[in-house]
Amino acid sequence: MKSVIKKFGKINSFVLFLCFLLLVLELIGHRHGETNIEDLMFFPAFFGFLSCIIIFKIGVSLRSFLMKDEDYYDR
Amino acid sequence: MIDNFPPGFVMVLGALLIPFLPHIIKQIYMMILILISAYGLTLGFGIHSVINIMEFDFILFQADKLTFPFAIIFHIAAALNVIYGAHEKDWKQHVAIMSYSGAAIAAIHAGDLLTLFVWWEATAFTSVFLILAGNTNRSYKAAIRYILIQVTSGMFLLAGAIILLVNDGSAILTKFDINSLYGQLIFIAFGIKAAFPLLNGWLQDAYPESTAIGTVALSTFTTKLAIFCFAKCFAGVEILIFIGALMTFYPIFFAVIENDLRRVLTYSLNNQLGFMIVAIGIGSELAINGAVAHAFAHILYKGLLFMGMGAVLYRVGTCKASELGGLFKYMPITAVCTIIGAISISAFPLFSGFVAKSLIMSALGKEGLVFVYFMLLFASAGVLHHSGIKIPFFAFFAHESKIKTKEAPINMIIAMVIASILCIAIGVFPSVFYQILPYEISYQPYDFSHVVGQLQLLMFAALAFICLWHFKIYPPELNSTVLNSDWIYRRMIPLFIIPCINFSKKITNKIRIIFYLVLLKIKIFFANYMIRNKVFDREIGQDTLIIIQVFAIFLIFLFFLHYTSFTS
Repeated sequence: MKSVIKKFGKINSFVLFLCFLLLVLELIGHRHGETNIEDLMFFPAFFGFLSCIIIFKIGVSLRSFLMKDEDYYDR
Repeated sequence: MIDNFPPGFVMVLGALLIPFLPHIIKQIYMMILILISAYGLTLGFGIHSVINIMEFDFILFQADKLTFPFAIIFHIAAALNVIYGAHEKDWKQHVAIMSYSGAAIAAIHAGDLLTLFVWWEATAFTSVFLILAGNTNRSYKAAIRYILIQVTSGMFLLAGAIILLVNDGSAILTKFDINSLYGQLIFIAFGIKAAFPLLNGWLQDAYPESTAIGTVALSTFTTKLAIFCFAKCFAGVEILIFIGALMTFYPIFFAVIENDLRRVLTYSLNNQLGFMIVAIGIGSELAINGAVAHAFAHILYKGLLFMGMGAVLYRVGTCKASELGGLFKYMPITAVCTIIGAISISAFPLFSGFVAKSLIMSALGKEGLVFVYFMLLFASAGVLHHSGIKIPFFAFFAHESKIKTKEAPINMIIAMVIASILCIAIGVFPSVFYQILPYEISYQPYDFSHVVGQLQLLMFAALAFICLWHFKIYPPELNSTVLNSDWIYRRMIPLFIIPCINFSKKITNKIRIIFYLVLLKIKIFFANYMIRNKVFDREIGQDTLIIIQVFAIFLIFLFFLHYTSFTS
């Protein structure tokens, strides 16, 4: 446990712990969503994680043609 | 007398006195103005004030269950702005903020389109001074673009109002038919102010160029006024669902790569407006409640985030993620308040965003709009990424910058703390909050499924960010300009127009020279003719007199001809 905290830092380890706790909570209680697909096991967790990665990936790929020099409009 | 004044009107009028008051008295005076204006909210629903000008009834003050929550939050926001800007000695900004908030409050109480138009333009012309207050060359140019677009929106509104007035004989603010011409014109007018996709450039262009306190005020009124108007006039219009979904979706990517943190917040503002527009498009009672609740909560947490970044800008002089970092130890209270705003906007349970957004998501689920639902869910993860994490992380943590500063002024802290408390209070006591919404509902946001589902979504999105940062996949923030839809009129159109103008200049120059030459020839010809034929000589002059006499007789003849036909 201490080695994990040392490796990832306090806040990151806390997030990791919370994520684990949420997965356990889902196993204990019965969670259902607004739509049928959401009722799949751990769906929001997967969806959240993947969304964040996709947003990051698209964002980084957009950098090449949307990002210009700071004085782009001043020239 | 005061009962006939629409709320907000007294703020617009009272703002004129602000320059003549000493510093602290000014703040007390502004608070009193807001209180007097808020008195109008106690008068109950109905039409309270109508004036007749040129046979048209201007409904100045009309209150109903939709105006009420907007009026409350606009007053709260105006009061918070006064506290937040209490240190500012520049009276021009105070006058602008007070009249701007007053105009927005009066606008939501307008009962007809022409009254709305007057206040619609008033919000534009008062708020532009807040952008000008940025006092840089950039802010000046942004202000000009801003006012041009706002006035364009006003012209669309006026055109729609006039068509409606000619057709129906009245222009009462009610549900409009989107399939009619006037409906479409008004829709575009509202759409510009609500920053629809491709019409959104002004928002990201102008707001971050304002001052620390100016942006806080700007973020509150204009766009939410548009949301109010949509809720009033276009609730249940299906196309709004798709426009809104697009609005929640695409600003995320821009926000992720943007470096200026206040500009990130404007993208985030755009994305949040999308949630409200989707809810208005659904149009059910639950959804309209969701839109209003979201607007209410949003004004608080977005204001709080802008306050946090404004405090950083005030102390450090920049809001660029590439230059900030490690400010937590210097500005701990600002940091905590900003984090509360970030948690609220990310919609963590027990914070205001959650109780508002849940209404919209449930309304979507009930309507069976699965695709839009997942777009909004995706956008929710995006909100966490760019507003929930990026804003506080890059400003107060991330890497150590060389900046040494101190905590924000006390008045800024008070405003931020009040906004934070309100964010938490709404999240903790949703049933009290739901009571001010337009429709009565029995909705319980806190059940096991909602809470666990939402927390899983957010925590795993946060985990993804942590992984990206920890394994150094996340690229560093760079000083840059991110192209947005304003590029269309700032670069693309000039790219085509300027060569066209130059070309036409060349052509017209040539035409002008030819024209001059031809004219010169004609002049010379006539001069020669006159000299040769002695036009000005006496004997020719007598002939001319005869011609004039004949012409006069002809005119008299025409007159009589007309007269006789008229009488018969």
